[in-house]
Amino acid sequence: MRRAPRLWTLFALPGTTWLIALFAIPFYAVACVAFGTIDPIFRDAVPQWNPMSWDFTQASQTLASLTSGPLRGVAIRTVVYVFCAMVISFTIGFPIAYFLARHSGKRKLLFLALIIVPFWVNYLMRMLAWVNLLSSDGLFTRFMRLFGVNYNWLDGSPITVVLGLVYGYVPFLILPLYATLERLDWRLIDAARDLGANSRQAFRLVTMPMSKAGLVAAGILIALPMFGDYYTNDLLSRSPSTEMLGNQIDFFLNASSQPQNGALLVIVLSIFLLVLMSFYLRSTRQQARQTTR
Amino acid sequence: MQRRDFLRKLAITTGGITVGGSLLAACGGGSSTTSDGLSIGTPQNPIKLPVSTDPIADGLANESGTLEILNWADYMNPESIAAFETKFGVKISTSIYDTEEAAVAKLRNGTFKPDVILGMTDTGLAKLIAADILQPLNKSYIPNFGNVISGLRNPYYDLESQYTVPYFLYGNGIGYRTDVIDKSAFAQNGYEVLWDTKYKGRLAVLDSYRDTLAMAIFRNGGNDANSSDPDEIKKAGEALIEMREAVNPKVDILGYQEIPAGNRDIQFLWSGDMFTAVQYLPEGVDPGVLGFWYPETTVTKNDFMCITKAAKSPVLAHQLINFLSDTDNALLNREYVGYQPALETITVDMLLASETIPESLVDALVTPEKYEIGLAQVTLEPEVDALWLEQWTAFTAG
Amino acid sequence: MINRLRGRRTSALVYVIWGYIIWSLVPVIIAVIYSFNDGRSRTVWQGFSFRWWWQDPNASVFQSSEMRNAIINSLVLAVATLLVVTPLGVALAIGAQRISGRGTNVVQGLTSAPLITPEIVVGAALLITFTRLFTAVPLGFTAQLLGNVTFSLSSVVVIVRARLVSIGPSFEEAARDLGATRWQALRFVLLPMLWPSVMASLVVVFATVIDDFIITSFLSAGVSSETVPLRIYSSVRGGATPALNALATLLVLTSFTVLIVGLFGLSTWRKRHGERGGMRAALADVTRMSS
Repeated sequence: MRRAPRLWTLFALPGTTWLIALFAIPFYAVACVAFGTIDPIFRDAVPQWNPMSWDFTQASQTLASLTSGPLRGVAIRTVVYVFCAMVISFTIGFPIAYFLARHSGKRKLLFLALIIVPFWVNYLMRMLAWVNLLSSDGLFTRFMRLFGVNYNWLDGSPITVVLGLVYGYVPFLILPLYATLERLDWRLIDAARDLGANSRQAFRLVTMPMSKAGLVAAGILIALPMFGDYYTNDLLSRSPSTEMLGNQIDFFLNASSQPQNGALLVIVLSIFLLVLMSFYLRSTRQQARQTTR
Repeated sequence: MQRRDFLRKLAITTGGITVGGSLLAACGGGSSTTSDGLSIGTPQNPIKLPVSTDPIADGLANESGTLEILNWADYMNPESIAAFETKFGVKISTSIYDTEEAAVAKLRNGTFKPDVILGMTDTGLAKLIAADILQPLNKSYIPNFGNVISGLRNPYYDLESQYTVPYFLYGNGIGYRTDVIDKSAFAQNGYEVLWDTKYKGRLAVLDSYRDTLAMAIFRNGGNDANSSDPDEIKKAGEALIEMREAVNPKVDILGYQEIPAGNRDIQFLWSGDMFTAVQYLPEGVDPGVLGFWYPETTVTKNDFMCITKAAKSPVLAHQLINFLSDTDNALLNREYVGYQPALETITVDMLLASETIPESLVDALVTPEKYEIGLAQVTLEPEVDALWLEQWTAFTAG
Repeated sequence: MINRLRGRRTSALVYVIWGYIIWSLVPVIIAVIYSFNDGRSRTVWQGFSFRWWWQDPNASVFQSSEMRNAIINSLVLAVATLLVVTPLGVALAIGAQRISGRGTNVVQGLTSAPLITPEIVVGAALLITFTRLFTAVPLGFTAQLLGNVTFSLSSVVVIVRARLVSIGPSFEEAARDLGATRWQALRFVLLPMLWPSVMASLVVVFATVIDDFIITSFLSAGVSSETVPLRIYSSVRGGATPALNALATLLVLTSFTVLIVGLFGLSTWRKRHGERGGMRAALADVTRMSS
């Protein structure tokens, strides 16, 4: 490739400038609001643009609130919900991805297409569909009543919220899992079988280690948006007992006069997710190394 | 009797409506303007709000185009909207707000840019004035102002009604399904019903920190809807958390839909909501299933209409306020909204005589007596407000 | 024996897959069906009718001014985003791949970061930025456009970059050997070959923006900038009619139409230009985003 810095730099410039202005700088703005001061009349945020004068008292209060104060419940609950949703998603998603990757045939394209369909159905519509089914005279509720299960699905139920998260995000898990598993070298597994391993041993000792990095990457790929999710809870529950961190961020920024709390929570969430993201990057690099044939 | 006088006496004798002692000291003289700049009027210390611009001139022509309204959901009759649109040959576009705090925040940061704001109360007024968002009214465009209840024409929060014209009257109480809960349940400490585990998962409270926290204060035995006592506020917050653990309440303003639909049995809400609820009953269901308990210790107030400073159609805005203050238009509006218009001509007797009030909801009507003993709810000083919000966050964050 | 074991496991997993597909799609299908409900209920069937699609003069999708407004806003926002993000993203993809030097890693990082950042973080950051820093930008359509472009830019770059990599430098180099300038090589050789990735990004960005909720919601300014997902969200919590189901169905139909048109376009282009793969490759192009 010849070096032609000026032309290609010119090409990259508009996009890069855009991203700096509207992606990188906004994070700085969030920090300036989070570490700024508070207007005494409106208790509104006054951003502090000079990093030297950043004030961390609000930040330490929020951290205290998250670790031992009122926000502790929300933080723990969010982690628990996401964890449960991940476990269930993997339980559902992995066998399907495995089947798709392992067994080809005439119907593979059909299955792939049908599994991709939820991607193109608006997330809100998929939730709306369940709100209809789970309301007090909804089809699912009536069906469950036949078995004597008389449960208020939409009344602040953690089960509904977690299952809602699963329903929403499992399609986003299956495709990356499928991509990972498809890239595996199946000859290694056949070799293991030939050497005497039964199917379970081959799975445990060959398939799993090889695909672990890809699994981690796929899991983190859906965990990241789940941690920031708020509308699933809003649509399926609307009760304080299922409040997630995203709801608090949404509340502080959109419905209260104290956006600095929202900004602080965004920063806390971002740092937490950065840790996850670094795992993701490490795993994808590992995966790239492992599955190169 | 002027409410102001009565309540002054009440405040002195029972301490019913107080502004924190330290604040009174800071206030000095008779002025209610605090040193930070929030002009808070109270029944004890009514306030003439500062005016920074002149009202619009007399005799201007109506603008054409679109009138932008900021309003609560389902708080104006679509038929009334259509009638106004036809009469003035314009279009009305409505943006919705869910809580007063969100509305004030969005008005300040420019998200909302309406001409008219409907349904705002004086808990938000001081901030709107301090943020210079409203314009003073020119009453020559609002001849129907004379229809407003005489006691409300010179309200404590806006002496001489420079910025506001009353809209609806209401009081805070508990709406419920009579086919699930009997009236007698409220005989003792009526608020306690909201803590009864019998209604777990079938209960809700208002998504309004001032109303619901005050209710908890009342349940604990207090009677100050504007308490600045950190202890009292904290205990109220704890009571709400106790409620959350016991009955898992929902927190929203949808009682007027959910109770008639049968999705919940009981909610702490605004009295007018139960009249709105009548329309959301499924076909064939008798309105008798809707009940309302109007507590003795509760907030009773009115909301109002006001015009923003940056309004693009201020004359039309005045016309809308005038339109809604006309008796017939207000009655039409009421048919959909359910609340009581704050007009002299629309008395409780007249409403009862019109036979549009279900027997079970007679208690939800705001009579002059109820208004007299009802408590006022004013803007809080920022530091006190922060205490309230802190407790509210602790409750809603689960 | 091994084959027999495999056979048994296969049939169990087939049931799992069909079960998943049914669980995944049936609720949506039911919602679509109920959009044709004759009554006001979204949950109790009361007969078939087009009432909520166009017959009801106030509340049906095509007659309700709020719903029409939402549809128009959604389409305008999606098309506007497309027009801005496509040239920006193609240029960025080409430039980013070919620059060398210290800036490369920064640019790569900056381009990939939005992909793994949750939408609420981006939305919140942009809201704060437009209300405190770049206050000249009004909330509403302008802010929503800027936000959606920012969020979709990385998708375009990923799609185009994949194609760039598979094309390789040889064609341009051949053109330059034959006397073309760098610019001519780009315009007459590379860009035409990039066309399928541009098509794929058009499809992906359109669907992303039309379905977008968080960013569009955070940056909205009341009813005038309400898109269809925002309308659905604000209506679900109230006593909405089946018109809501109809609105959501319309949204899905739009996305699918664009997808299918795109897939066929891609497939045809591939056939005409002698590239193999057909529909499956087209699908891969379009789902590159998610894998």
